Amino acid sequence: MAFEPRIVGFLCNWCSYTGADLAGTSRVKYPFNVRIIRVMCSARIDPTFILKALSDGADGVLVCGCHPGDCHYVEGNYKAMRRYALLKKTLRSLGVEEDRVRLEWVSASEGVRFGEVIADMTEKIRKLGPNRIKAELILDKAER
Amino acid sequence: MAVRVNPKLIDELEYFGAQDVIKCYHCGNCSATCTHSDEVFVFPRRSMRYLQMGLKTKLETSIEPWLCYYCGQCSEQCPLGAEPGESMMSLRRWLISRYDFTGISRKFFKSTKLELLFVILIALLAGIGFLFYGFGHGDIHVYDGANAFLPSHFIHAFDLWLAAAMFLFLGMNIFRMWYFIMIKSGGVHIPWWLYIKKFYLLPWHFFTQKRYAECESKIKSKVFMPWLVHLGLMLGYVIMLVLVMIFLHRLQSGPEIDWSVHALAYLATVGLLIGTIYMVKGRIKKEQVQYQKSQGSDWIFLVLLMIIVVTGVFQHICHRLGMEMIANITYVIHLMAVVPWLLRMPFTKWAHMLYRPLAMYFAGIRKNALVLEKEGAPISQPIRQAA
Amino acid sequence: MKECKIGVYVCNCGTNIAKVVNVEEVVESLGKMDGVVVARSYKYMCSNPGQEMIVQDIKNLGLNRVVVAACSPRMHEPTFRKALENAGINPYFLEMANIREQCSWVHDDAIEATEKARVLTSAAVRRVKYHEPLEKRSVPMCPATLVLGGGVAGLAAALELGDAGQQVYLVERENRLGGNVGRVDLTAPYLDSARDLLTEFITRANQNPKITVMIQSKLVELGGYVGNFQARVEDAQGDIIELAVGSVVVCTGYKEFDASRIKSLAYGWLPNVITSFELEGMIRKGKILTKEGNVPQYVALIHCVGSRSLEYHPYCSRVCCMTALKYAHEIKSAIPKSYVSDVYIDMHAFGKGCEDFYRRSTEAKTMFLMYEKGHPPRIREAGPDDDCGMFIWVKEQLSGEEIEIPADLVVLMVGMEPREDSEAVAHLVNISRDKHGWFIESHPKLDPVATTTDGVFIAGACSSPKDIPDTVAQARAAAARILAKIAKGEIWADAVYAEVDEDLCSGCRVCNELCPYTAVEYDKVKKRSHVIYAMCKACGACVAACPSGAIKARHFTDQQIFAQIEGVLPWHSNHVS
Repeated sequence: MAFEPRIVGFLCNWCSYTGADLAGTSRVKYPFNVRIIRVMCSARIDPTFILKALSDGADGVLVCGCHPGDCHYVEGNYKAMRRYALLKKTLRSLGVEEDRVRLEWVSASEGVRFGEVIADMTEKIRKLGPNRIKAELILDKAER
Repeated sequence: MAVRVNPKLIDELEYFGAQDVIKCYHCGNCSATCTHSDEVFVFPRRSMRYLQMGLKTKLETSIEPWLCYYCGQCSEQCPLGAEPGESMMSLRRWLISRYDFTGISRKFFKSTKLELLFVILIALLAGIGFLFYGFGHGDIHVYDGANAFLPSHFIHAFDLWLAAAMFLFLGMNIFRMWYFIMIKSGGVHIPWWLYIKKFYLLPWHFFTQKRYAECESKIKSKVFMPWLVHLGLMLGYVIMLVLVMIFLHRLQSGPEIDWSVHALAYLATVGLLIGTIYMVKGRIKKEQVQYQKSQGSDWIFLVLLMIIVVTGVFQHICHRLGMEMIANITYVIHLMAVVPWLLRMPFTKWAHMLYRPLAMYFAGIRKNALVLEKEGAPISQPIRQAA
Repeated sequence: MKECKIGVYVCNCGTNIAKVVNVEEVVESLGKMDGVVVARSYKYMCSNPGQEMIVQDIKNLGLNRVVVAACSPRMHEPTFRKALENAGINPYFLEMANIREQCSWVHDDAIEATEKARVLTSAAVRRVKYHEPLEKRSVPMCPATLVLGGGVAGLAAALELGDAGQQVYLVERENRLGGNVGRVDLTAPYLDSARDLLTEFITRANQNPKITVMIQSKLVELGGYVGNFQARVEDAQGDIIELAVGSVVVCTGYKEFDASRIKSLAYGWLPNVITSFELEGMIRKGKILTKEGNVPQYVALIHCVGSRSLEYHPYCSRVCCMTALKYAHEIKSAIPKSYVSDVYIDMHAFGKGCEDFYRRSTEAKTMFLMYEKGHPPRIREAGPDDDCGMFIWVKEQLSGEEIEIPADLVVLMVGMEPREDSEAVAHLVNISRDKHGWFIESHPKLDPVATTTDGVFIAGACSSPKDIPDTVAQARAAAARILAKIAKGEIWADAVYAEVDEDLCSGCRVCNELCPYTAVEYDKVKKRSHVIYAMCKACGACVAACPSGAIKARHFTDQQIFAQIEGVLPWHSNHVS
């Protein structure tokens, strides 16, 4: 059976979650691989959420917020962006591929774009192959 | 080159009847509804714009006003009551005054009183002149032949001089019209042979007046009535003009009817009579848009024409009945109307009789020149490149 | 903690969900989950019988958690919370799984969609176990209001509040009330005198004992939160006055565009090119003259100076079109022999009486000339032989011609732009600005006078260019909003907000800086931070940043989200090759 990536999407309530809802009301079709978790703002997304998702077996993590300047909470998305940059560094040193974690700005009106982002990300991760972290963690435990 | 806006022109055009042009906000309904407007000559909207902006040179060199036959559909469609039809009419009046270098026309359009004064003065002069000649050379009791009060050879010679004067003015006006439309307006190179190729348009439009029949609303209304009336009037003029200028002695002779000329003359008279009555009726009733805003000048023309036709018919009948003296007096009145009527022709709206077919002729040439230019440019270059 | 008794309700949404997702399979699978007491499906969960089903189950089966798998929570979360409340349990014990917008409407494969719906619902079941009962809390409302700006907006707001018997502090920077309207002669389209309009307002404001007018004063600091602001205002003498207010109305208005920025218009070096406000000055003095002292024969009005251009301001300044028509009228009546050209891009005559005003202006023979966006007019001096002082080059749209318009006096209809101090004001009262610098409303259509900061309202041209009627309407609307709050006497804060566990807080103050609403306050005595919940909007930025994990985002706790992550991840085994 072909590899189907598992992607966890963290979406801010005001722009991106609404954008994903719009994808639904507009009947935009996108791959089923993404599972969405709603947060109030992209700034709420603690890096540990992403690490937790990766260690629990997610092959990719998507973080979506409002476009710069459009944040419902003035500048939460900038905070998310800074954390994302730092997290990327950490992930690189852990040996996690760049494309597994992705930050995208999706506004409430970008239903079509949301679908495109999911399709694109699914394809990229399909090429990367499964996330090894979980397998290694299980191995680690077994060795101990 | 930027054209200069003249905010004052609109005030001047008001004298010529363009009262409502300022209301236009350029929706373009008028151009869309016009059957004569095409991709080359777009009107009335563009002319309305030039008018609002006072682009004098653009207006002076434009042909569009002559392509409009005032069916009135544009004015009916206009959402703002900007009267595009009447604006085109006033532009025609203005253009006539621009073609006329003497400035007489302009004065007539600006003041009907002045025109009336001119007409009365000329009529009186003509009346005195003819009476003076009649009493000097003939007998008021003789209408025709030797010792006639107004002998046909004299009137014939007089007519020729009068026509020469009229055509001199008209000729100069036409030259200016040609210069404005074909030279000053520029925009396209016109090869000389197009003037020959397209010449047929001139008599064709002059004798058929078919553009009147193309106006949509005119087709709808009463079996081509305006077109038939114009055709009748126009043919009436032409036939009468030819008869008077060449066969006057046979027209005047009597009392028996010379059917070879009189048959045509009767026909022409009927055309003139019907045409005149139709126009007077229209102007009184004011049902159709084009008759709602007639100026004093229009009435002078119609009244003179009525007098001419009625006196013409009356003297003819009197002569046949042997009432020579009454026939002679009627003849003098007839001539008193004819002289000013003909003399004012080049300076008034009625010159459109000639300008309209001329405009169709010029328009045909310009369109053909544009087609040549369009075809010429792209074809010549690739061939050269391929070689 | 009490044992969790969860009810799971899967909605068919007619065929919207059931057409793709095998609802019965989801129900069957969920029914086997730990803690789930009952799992049911229904045609329309949001319908009255659907809600009643939940209420009855809560009552009969003693449910204490509810999961509804249906449409987006943005749609019906309030509906189902209400149902829980009606059944007598805390409304926050609800969690929704979005299996319509995120599943049945975006996927075609029935097997995959059913699996996804199952996973999303099971994640919701895992999450709901960690839900806590949350209560809304109230704070008292101070009935006084601070109005910033003494223009027509500020005056209208102050009068509305003052007339209702509430204390108002009207703070104006300049030494007079009236703002920009005070610089204007007549107003479009009815040609009422601006002076008359203002005099009435100003007299009433000065006479009202409830309105404290403070001219030559400015706000220097605003602390506190909705219902309980502390404002520090510096008055004309330089003294600081402390004011306790419950609400703030920002009516700081606009300033005009600096026309000298557009070189082609020659403003600043051709003396007879003036701005609209300079013309207003002339009209108020009663004489329209060129700099040489002559009566101008040709007057040209140029629209959209600084507005509707990508280079300067892309937005429309809204009032200039009608103001220009007003000038055409005023110039014609002052100089009957003059010719007025009106050089515009589009004529925006949208308001009451405005189209009629435009029609009257055309009939008064104003020459309207339309220029193209991106091809701004150019002004040059005329030669000695010309009968005018200047020429304006324009690419005229309606004729397609390039034209030159004669002019002795050129009036530039300068647009509106945010004041230089708008950034400082925004910072002081903690509201945001858009990319142009205008203050942002809470919702452009449905909440146009509120801001993202509770208790701070905006009215008039400080949020975008506006005419007088809209400005006054906004000011009065803001006043009405405030009066409603005053009438209630207390402010109810949403139950979802951040909370600091003071035992865990190390007092590092990272969160203090992060909060966009300054809702996190540092207690210098305790050396701990705490959240003023009335000001918190629950974004969670501080929660994610707290190094000691001392801040809890109510209803979005780490535990709840972790449970949800775990819930969405156990995939069907056959997806891993």
